[in-house]
Amino acid sequence: MNRNRLLLIVLLPLLLTLAAGLGYAVLSLPEQPQYLQQLVMDNMADSGVSHPVTAVLLNFRAYDTLLEMVVLLLALLAVWSLDMADPQHKTAPSLVLDTLTRLLTPVLILVTAYLLWVGAHAPGGAFQAGSVLAASAVLLSLAGWRLSDKLTALPLRIVLVAGPGVFIILSALSMVLEGQLLKYPVAQAGLFIVILETFATLSIGATLAALFLGVRPGKINKNKDRKHK
Amino acid sequence: MAIENALMAFPMASIWAVTLVLLPLAGVICCFLLPRISRTLGLFTSFANLISVSGLGWQLLEHGSYRHAVGGWGAPLGIELYADGLSLLMLATTAMVGFAISVYSTAYFKPAVGVRFWPIWLCLLTALNTLFLSADIFNLYVTLELMGLSAVALTALTGSKEALNGAMRYLLASLLASLSYLLGVVLLYHSFGSVDISLLTQQMQAPSATLAAATPAVWAALGLMGAGLMLKTAIFPLHFWLPPAHGSAPAPVSALLSALVIKASFYILLRLWFTLFEPLVDGEAINSLLGLLGCAAILWGSVQAIRQTRLKLLIAYSTVAQIGYLFLVFPLASNMGSVAWNAIAYLIISHALAKSAMFLCAGNLLRFGGHDRIADLDRVVQRLPLTAAAFALAGVSIMGIPPSGGFIGKWLLLETAIIQGRWDLVAVIIIGGLLAAVYIFKVIGYTFSPAQITHEAHNVSARMQWSALLLAIGAVLLGFLSLPVLSLLNISDATITSGVGL
Repeated sequence: MNRNRLLLIVLLPLLLTLAAGLGYAVLSLPEQPQYLQQLVMDNMADSGVSHPVTAVLLNFRAYDTLLEMVVLLLALLAVWSLDMADPQHKTAPSLVLDTLTRLLTPVLILVTAYLLWVGAHAPGGAFQAGSVLAASAVLLSLAGWRLSDKLTALPLRIVLVAGPGVFIILSALSMVLEGQLLKYPVAQAGLFIVILETFATLSIGATLAALFLGVRPGKINKNKDRKHK
Repeated sequence: MAIENALMAFPMASIWAVTLVLLPLAGVICCFLLPRISRTLGLFTSFANLISVSGLGWQLLEHGSYRHAVGGWGAPLGIELYADGLSLLMLATTAMVGFAISVYSTAYFKPAVGVRFWPIWLCLLTALNTLFLSADIFNLYVTLELMGLSAVALTALTGSKEALNGAMRYLLASLLASLSYLLGVVLLYHSFGSVDISLLTQQMQAPSATLAAATPAVWAALGLMGAGLMLKTAIFPLHFWLPPAHGSAPAPVSALLSALVIKASFYILLRLWFTLFEPLVDGEAINSLLGLLGCAAILWGSVQAIRQTRLKLLIAYSTVAQIGYLFLVFPLASNMGSVAWNAIAYLIISHALAKSAMFLCAGNLLRFGGHDRIADLDRVVQRLPLTAAAFALAGVSIMGIPPSGGFIGKWLLLETAIIQGRWDLVAVIIIGGLLAAVYIFKVIGYTFSPAQITHEAHNVSARMQWSALLLAIGAVLLGFLSLPVLSLLNISDATITSGVGL
């Protein structure tokens, strides 16, 4: 206890100095040069979409997005590799949760589709749509619903990797067509982006929901004995 | 003629560079979808990766450094990939060490663990390849994230209590470092409106801009990015997370972490320091400070290594010490670049080969006797001669005894220090070598003596022994290859014409 207090007395001024220094640096920032925003606007016509954020994420800097998709998949791989046991809830969900879930799930799926589609010209897109999809899956799993055993092996995995997988395939295709990584043919850029976003939405939704569950579905029954090891 | 050459070279080098990005990614997906054959897929991917690096190296030798505008936009709107001598050397080291460790892992992991190992290892390979090819500070952040997360996941692979503890510490340190780096990126982006390294360098080095560039925000960015990368590289006193993580991970994972992962963050630090931050740090006290940390790391790490009783922890502390040598480049290179630069490149490669060999040896000994207590090694020289030979050869390079890669690196470093009259650094380099000899010979000594309590010996597969031995032989052979290796390092923007015959 005493040692902690001593540490606090030493660390607090240091951290405050650091915070003050950073605050000063941020406050003294010059006006941001605007020419990159201008550059984005100038190239919007060739990007295949009309919303600048979507254009940056899926065309100008699509390479970052590809790697971010892999980060998401990797997070799931990491969680699954811990091989945890499932804390299964055997109690039946309350009537309110059950009814609400039944009502909300179709609406959420509709919202997902809307967000995905609207991303081309307004705020929205794959990450937002995928999060909503994941929310509906989380709600379902809280209400006690589980994927059937038939779907937990290969089909689930295919959905999980669909986003990065299609991204890789289109990257390779762009190399063949245009000789440069992720350079879309200008006329088909919109199509490329819609395909990427659709599969990304599915994968993001599935991955986030799987991360929420924390255990590998289908691992549940086998793991039951190991829980008490 | 030169332009024609460059145009003709364009598709070939692009193909190899893009393969280096997409191949391991495709490997991740395939391993995840087909866990039953993930071992074969992983081994194949790392072999194909080795071939792709050779392809890229051949193109770079013919045509000089290479740039690829991803998406066809070019900086500052898009992201650019960039490969020169230094990135090629890092990629080649990754490919060689990665392949040897892959071969080792096919025998080391039981199928149940291997299924989890392969996709994450290929994620790590993706992260390393993309990191060494990147020329964009935000893209580098993404690759750092990918690398950090896969390294943590690999550390936790066995699920034992120590491994989980080590992995958790590693995760927290790694996240703090990434966020610190990201904040620096934000400040630079806001100041200059670009995240491309060469554009930022131009703006920082423009004569009119030198004074204007040194704003508090740019200094803050330097501090934040520097601190983040130093935490990831585990330079003393930010090494606290390294021994538990590297000591508790499975042997092939420790080898990957020690040989490649910490070098990657050091590589970014090196790049940033000598390009866009150069006008700020050149000849400044901050470089002396980094050199001082390097000296402290050499002495502290070596002394701690001597005190260890467990082999893997000894090797982990030896890594802490060897990282110190890399940081000596900062005070030495600011006066006369090239020799110190060559020395560091040499130290990076030879340490990667020797240290991975050592960790693989430790894995063999752990498998053989069921423990890694140094005092109970129990005559492994006679019972496991290949592994003992591998450890000794790797030790030669770590100590810096000729002929070995470690010797060339340390010799070049020593030469620079003497020419510049930095006798303090000379003393530390020599003392560091002596201390390294103490901890290496401590291990080798116990491999000859019988232990008081004998343990049941388990069989160690030939693949595991040979991959360790080949890595160690590579570290020693580097001592004879200094001319070709250093000529690779000199591939830069200046050698656009195909003048570098090899």
